[in-house]
Amino acid sequence: MRLLERDAPLATLHRLRAEATSVGGRLVFVEGEAGVGKTSLLGAFRGSVPNGVRTLLGSCDPLSTPRPLGPLVDIADDLDVSFARLVREQAPREEVLGGLLAALRQNRDELVVLLDDLHWADEATLDALRFVGRRIDSTRALVVGTYRDDEVGRDHPLRVVVGDLATSSAVRRLPLEGLSEASVEELARGTDIDPVELHRLTGGNPFYVTEVIAGAPARIPSTVRDAVLSRAARLSPAARRTLEAAAVIGPTVDPALLARVVDAPATEECLARGLLQTDGHAYHFRHEVAREAILQATDPGVRIALHGRVLKALEAYLAGDISLARLAHHAEGAADRDAVLPYAPAAGRDAAAIGAHREAAAQYARAVRFAGSLPPAEWAALLEESAREHGSIDAMDVANNAWAEAAGIWQRLGDARREGVVLAAMARGLILAGRNVEAEAASRRALEVVDPLPDCPEKVEASSMQAYLRMLDRDDEEAIEIGRQAIEMGRDDPGAMASVILAWNTVGSSRILLGEFDGGRADLETSLRLAREHGLDRFVAVAYSNLASALGEMYRFADADPYYEDGLRYTIERDLDGTRFYLEAWQAVRLVHRGRWSEAGPIASSLVSRPGVSSISRTMAHLALGRLRARRGDPDAWAALDAALAVSEPTGTLQRLGPVRAARAEAAWLEGDPERSASEAAAAFDLAVRHAHPWHVGELAWWLTRAGASPADASAAAEPWRLQLAGRWREAAAAWEALDCPYEAARALLEADDIAGLEQAHATFDRLGARPAAALATRRLRELGARSIPRGRRPTTRANPAGLTARELDVLRLVVRGLPNHEIAARLFLSPRTVDHHVSAVLGKLGVGRRRAAAAAAARLRIDLQNGQSAGPD
Amino acid sequence: MPRYIVERSFPEGFELPHGQAGVDVCRGVVGVNEDLGVTWVHSYVRDDRRATFCVYDAPNPESIRRAAERNGLPVERITRVTVLDPYFYTPSTALEPPVHVPRRV
Repeated sequence: MRLLERDAPLATLHRLRAEATSVGGRLVFVEGEAGVGKTSLLGAFRGSVPNGVRTLLGSCDPLSTPRPLGPLVDIADDLDVSFARLVREQAPREEVLGGLLAALRQNRDELVVLLDDLHWADEATLDALRFVGRRIDSTRALVVGTYRDDEVGRDHPLRVVVGDLATSSAVRRLPLEGLSEASVEELARGTDIDPVELHRLTGGNPFYVTEVIAGAPARIPSTVRDAVLSRAARLSPAARRTLEAAAVIGPTVDPALLARVVDAPATEECLARGLLQTDGHAYHFRHEVAREAILQATDPGVRIALHGRVLKALEAYLAGDISLARLAHHAEGAADRDAVLPYAPAAGRDAAAIGAHREAAAQYARAVRFAGSLPPAEWAALLEESAREHGSIDAMDVANNAWAEAAGIWQRLGDARREGVVLAAMARGLILAGRNVEAEAASRRALEVVDPLPDCPEKVEASSMQAYLRMLDRDDEEAIEIGRQAIEMGRDDPGAMASVILAWNTVGSSRILLGEFDGGRADLETSLRLAREHGLDRFVAVAYSNLASALGEMYRFADADPYYEDGLRYTIERDLDGTRFYLEAWQAVRLVHRGRWSEAGPIASSLVSRPGVSSISRTMAHLALGRLRARRGDPDAWAALDAALAVSEPTGTLQRLGPVRAARAEAAWLEGDPERSASEAAAAFDLAVRHAHPWHVGELAWWLTRAGASPADASAAAEPWRLQLAGRWREAAAAWEALDCPYEAARALLEADDIAGLEQAHATFDRLGARPAAALATRRLRELGARSIPRGRRPTTRANPAGLTARELDVLRLVVRGLPNHEIAARLFLSPRTVDHHVSAVLGKLGVGRRRAAAAAAARLRIDLQNGQSAGPD
Repeated sequence: MPRYIVERSFPEGFELPHGQAGVDVCRGVVGVNEDLGVTWVHSYVRDDRRATFCVYDAPNPESIRRAAERNGLPVERITRVTVLDPYFYTPSTALEPPVHVPRRV
């Protein structure tokens, strides 16, 4: 059947196929409503690809809990032997992703991979899609994915992936539209159907149109579902039963299976009526929409019975080769508790092992729904597994309720070890949900419960979790004491390794926060080393992250830098987005303090607008933007500061409230509202004093004094603040300079009583672009009777145009010299994946799509590639 | 998308070449802006050529500054505004109450 109005999209796909082999791999999303012809387009494309081009097709299952890695499992054997083995052996995530990418890269010939119905994709497939999509231009493959865009709403996980990838120049979106009136007319030629009316009702949807035409009804059905059902209405009862059985079985209907579900299946009639099709091996519905319509119209009692028969047939006949996910699906459909309970948790474990946490959580939720009257210990164990998976997908409310219930059961059963571990897990879950007070209660309860026990991993975990909470609350001495106890107890117990690694991390962070910089770094590096040795990637990433943010919180920016760089590289290479965004958010906050505002702005604003960023990372990005905008005098400062406060306030912790209240106090003061500034500062001052945090006490006390208040006890203030509070502005400025804080240094000089000091302040504010503070400096100069007020000239070009970092300039120089990425990686002692990322970032900042244009773009922006300076006029 | 007024100062005077060269400069600026989701609506040039007031639609102030950096243009001050058109002021287009009122700007 010739496809109407699809020449243009087909031509686009062929053009991209050519680009993939000549320029670099491409990923295309074909999007449109159900029935618009996405699968048909894939078929036509496949048919028009020259012989000798390897074309692979994988499809996602329309199950409520699809098979993990479903479409990739479909193509694995044909794609690559090593990759197929990794999938079969359920290898760890990094190996599977690495194997997939290697398989796509090593191809010397053309390779086309088609992935159909991605709106049903499981989490592991989406993860792989994102991983490959980000690196597709380093392959020579064309990957084409289709999905129903009308079913992928704002919260759908595929939307986040598509949105994230769509900004890359190697990724395209190809929307498919319904047919025009002319085409509908052509299709309806020879029938009595009014083409205008048909087009109006169907919107030109090809499946709907052809279904109506095939059914030849008296009146055009008003929905596609009605069109399908009106065709099915003419079937004999036997054929109708057969069709319903086929619908329950699924998109592909094995004839032998069908024969076991329905006696004497009337497939001939279904085929003759065009309601089923066959390719010689199995039966299919003409379109998934048709199958769904039949399924929905099937009597619920009949449906349950059919699911039961399918399940029995699968178990008996094709056992061993059927995925657990499918068995669990039919078990639930059959409302068969005795089948759901073994299958669903097993399917959940499988899915969790591959990293398909969304599907795992759904399987456990299914099991929990059916668990009814399980023996208590099994019920509690099931709840724990469910809680863990729901925690992984950030469904914290479900997770916390499950943990709470499990803890109650273990308490009734008198199992202190299990109760302790569950309560500790719940404490962590509550922290992630921002419910810190409840987290504290759970953690303390955990400690009480495990206290009478002899040393065991559960006891270590409870202690480690309590130490962590203390650290988050900035009760650093207690955190260190409890953390060290946990380490002592668990260091020789392999079962307690994760808890011990967390404890080293906690102790190290708290030591840094107390000013023990060398000791704290050593402890955090121990955590990092142990995590690396035991292959615990996420813990490695968290170690880097805490090193950077703890040192940064103590204003040791130069010390934080290498951990930030290494951590960023580590998380990029492994697609550990969560920790990566948190790292970047804190980097933005630090850059604002260091006066590197043109670098801070883009990092923070991209975190705020990007989908899939956690609430806490977005909050720190809002904090950075709020301070930045307030200092520059840019609009929307309070929008950002209000957003940061909204998330921080419920936590009640100094870690969040300290910097947020300080930034708000500063913003208010810069607007000339000292009363507001004082009230913001007062809101967190007592908390800061209670925890004796030198930097928060110092800054909040400062804003209180500017407003004329006298803070109760500012003795804990860090050195630069202490000097400022004592009126020793010159020394304070020098102290800030030593810490690489030019804005703070200039602000200290605002207290100067001599013109030279104020002129220096003005010059700094001017250079940074700090308009409100510059205006204050001007006013003070006038008050002192200065004769000439500097007008201020800012250079129109900057030392780093396009905002390239030093590393990115290194990469750009080598790109312009024509080196390929792997050579650049070798020269700069980086991994190829990191270079891929830098090259994308550089091309993005230069505003070009390909490497060849980089030299011209650099010249246009007057970037001097010899030493990175701009050669522009000043 | 919010609208902003961007004030720029050119101590040596703002110059735009005549003819096609000038058109190309404008197009180049528009192109760079587009990459960042920033739209230059139009500008008002002070008679002494030492200042311009540029009307922009942009997602946030940071994107305006980034575009300015790439285009080699100075930024003196950014203000967020709402359009008030006297001929189209009706109950439905009436101004919203202020979002945030600073004591002194």
